[in-house]
Amino acid sequence: MAKQRTPVLKVSKLKKSYGPVTIVNDFSLEVWPGEAVAITGRNGAGKSTILRCLVGADKIDDGTIEVCGEKMRESSPQIRRDLATVIDDLDFFPDLSVVEHLDLLARAHGLPDADVAVDDILHQVQLVPQSGQLPGTLSSGQRRRLALATAFVRPRQLLILDEPEQRLDVEGVQWLADRLVEERQKGLAIVMASHEPMLVERVATRTVRIGSARGAEAGAA
Amino acid sequence: MSKRARKKQLNRPAGAGPASDGTTAQPQGPATADQSGLATSPKAASSAAGPATPEPIDLPVDLDDDVPVYDHDLLTVEPEPVSERELRALMKDWRRGRATRHLWDVIQDGYVALLAFVMIGGMIFSVVWRAQGIAAECTTASCQTGRTLLPWAALFGTLAVTLAVARLFGPIVASASEGFWLMDAPVRRSRLLSGRLAAVLTVSAVVSAVFGGLVAALTGSSFAEAGIWAAASALGAAGLTAFSAAEQGADRHWTVRVLTWLAGALGLAALTAVVAVAAGWVSLGIDLKLGVQLAGIVGGVGLLLLVACGVLAFVRLDGMRRARMMSGGSLVSGMQGAMFAMDVGLMRDILVERDAMERGHVRPTRGRGLGVQALVWRDLQRLIRFPKSLLLLVVGLVVPYAVGALGLAAFSPFISGMVLMTALVPLLGSLRVLSRTKGLARAFPFSTQDIRRAVMTVPAVLALIWAGLAIPAFAGLGSGMQHMPILDAVIHAALTGVAGLLAAVRWVTAKPADYGAPMMQTGMGAMPPGLMLNLFRGIDVMAGVTGPLLLGWSPWISVVIAVIIFFLLQGGMSMEDAQAMQEEQKKQMAELKGETAAAKGSAQKTRIPPPSRR
Repeated sequence: MAKQRTPVLKVSKLKKSYGPVTIVNDFSLEVWPGEAVAITGRNGAGKSTILRCLVGADKIDDGTIEVCGEKMRESSPQIRRDLATVIDDLDFFPDLSVVEHLDLLARAHGLPDADVAVDDILHQVQLVPQSGQLPGTLSSGQRRRLALATAFVRPRQLLILDEPEQRLDVEGVQWLADRLVEERQKGLAIVMASHEPMLVERVATRTVRIGSARGAEAGAA
Repeated sequence: MSKRARKKQLNRPAGAGPASDGTTAQPQGPATADQSGLATSPKAASSAAGPATPEPIDLPVDLDDDVPVYDHDLLTVEPEPVSERELRALMKDWRRGRATRHLWDVIQDGYVALLAFVMIGGMIFSVVWRAQGIAAECTTASCQTGRTLLPWAALFGTLAVTLAVARLFGPIVASASEGFWLMDAPVRRSRLLSGRLAAVLTVSAVVSAVFGGLVAALTGSSFAEAGIWAAASALGAAGLTAFSAAEQGADRHWTVRVLTWLAGALGLAALTAVVAVAAGWVSLGIDLKLGVQLAGIVGGVGLLLLVACGVLAFVRLDGMRRARMMSGGSLVSGMQGAMFAMDVGLMRDILVERDAMERGHVRPTRGRGLGVQALVWRDLQRLIRFPKSLLLLVVGLVVPYAVGALGLAAFSPFISGMVLMTALVPLLGSLRVLSRTKGLARAFPFSTQDIRRAVMTVPAVLALIWAGLAIPAFAGLGSGMQHMPILDAVIHAALTGVAGLLAAVRWVTAKPADYGAPMMQTGMGAMPPGLMLNLFRGIDVMAGVTGPLLLGWSPWISVVIAVIIFFLLQGGMSMEDAQAMQEEQKKQMAELKGETAAAKGSAQKTRIPPPSRR
């Protein structure tokens, strides 16, 4: 595969504060296709804040973020097409079943064989028995699987995950690691925050440790 | 173990052998000790396990000889009978003990509410008084029949709402803490919950009496007749609430559901009859006195139901499922929270989520179309799956006809539009979910405008159909209505449809009050700026679009206003984008200025002075 000339994700001197408290300061990162970056660090270090800024959920105070060469704008259709995310602000339609969510997303992204793609991911996340269930009745682990499925059922250039192992059982974490490794080898760029050493070790090609806890200035190692 | 011996054990270093004397350790570590004398920190536990140096334990309390020590084995102890009365008294005592204000303090601070109550009461009395005067002029058969039928519509409507609310909440509810701490204990639930049953019955009776009596008084009934209507509403509602409670005890729902539909259908039939009679389409020879007598019979049946089902409900309180009561309790607390935030949208979200939880499962349908069309098709499939949402739209169609028949055609665009807005809100479920959090919208590869336009398509088509069917009402079809040229009627109906749609979109997409923003000082304390505006969302758009029609101005003004509002609403987050871009441009300008200044500064520094002339 010919090397892409621009990184899939380019972050320069990112700064984010909540009131007087600076959570992230002078954070820079470049992620290329086929690369998986794991952001690690203790609770409150700013991992989730960085990821929320990267997907456009939070407004940054300073710095720049580019996705596939385009400046980050949360409502940009191109960025929404390239960027798949699983962070904590994902909502579901209360009256659409599990399989209908995935079907809708696959069709919205213009997948020609939406049914096949949906069946495949439904099997992988082991939600076939729950395919007709409404999201409100799913367990927290099943909701997490559905959230992951929404990211995998659609085309993407960059995948951003915030602690994807949360609420997954051991088998689920194993599946996730296999899937992410496979995706990375196919050229997908991945940025994830995780506390699961096995996941980080298996998936990440690079680890960025956020050193300081909240209250101190944080920066990339 | 004696108290003295226990105290000694607590005051000795962990890991040391049995205390043989009264020596005490100096407390300094972070470990804690519970009353059983066991160290709870890992550090203390590890020191207790091995022969390592004993570590002192930090005692949280200094037990003295007065502290009672429970000295029974909980596995073998025989529990004594529990007195529910004492438990209730204990809870009451706790609650009173923890209250920071007395009732009188609240009343003193609530003078605003009291003034509002007096003002609203005065207004209602004035309106009733005027209505009585107007009703005296009602001498025609159609007017008399309309007057007879309207309290019936109100009565059945009240009963339907009472049943729906009772089924939604329980009607017997228990908070999470009550469910967890009290229901688990070997207590007789009927003794704990009997007061609650009585309270629910009383509230349903009082609220229904006020509404039923008010409608009767407004339609010109004498005060004695209004009293009979109020009593019929109160007893009917209380009886049906008791029935719902009894059915809750039997863990059965379908009976209440069927009765709700029945009462709703009767209410709709009565309302349609009012419109048909007032418009002169049909004539029904119903005597006013007969209507009141029938109301008395309804009240009597309600009383019988109240007594019979009240007793049955009381008997069944013991076997009432805890989960069902706690579910109702959590719904109450959720609604309370949303109400305090004046977030009506959140209240609806809670109800929708609960409805989905009850349903649990659907038969999945395969989607259609690709790209943005998939969203439109999915909305259509949703409508076919849940056609109940259409019911409100159909019922709402009666309103423009009723308003016209009552001689209020001038206000029809606003009143009918408000009803249409209410009917369209359930059809904008997709827009609501995609607006309240950005996470799901981010998963779709479209701009915010495209998403909004797509999920507005089906409701927009329905609003237009509604407007088309309402044209005869605006044109004044029927002998009792004011007539309007057909072209004007088409324009008025279309603008009402558009206003209803835009108001519903505004209602659904409005953001909740931002408690992080600076507060406003008001007579009722500090408030976030958007809190009060939240109550008027939707109504503002409705007033903006239909206002020129009410004032008799050119409809084109309404068209222009509607177009502007449409672009503002469908843009949604693009406003935020525009703001972000503006900020970015400012930042770039500032950087550019900084660079220019720096360049100037360096230029000044490196400027070579002209050679001096000699």
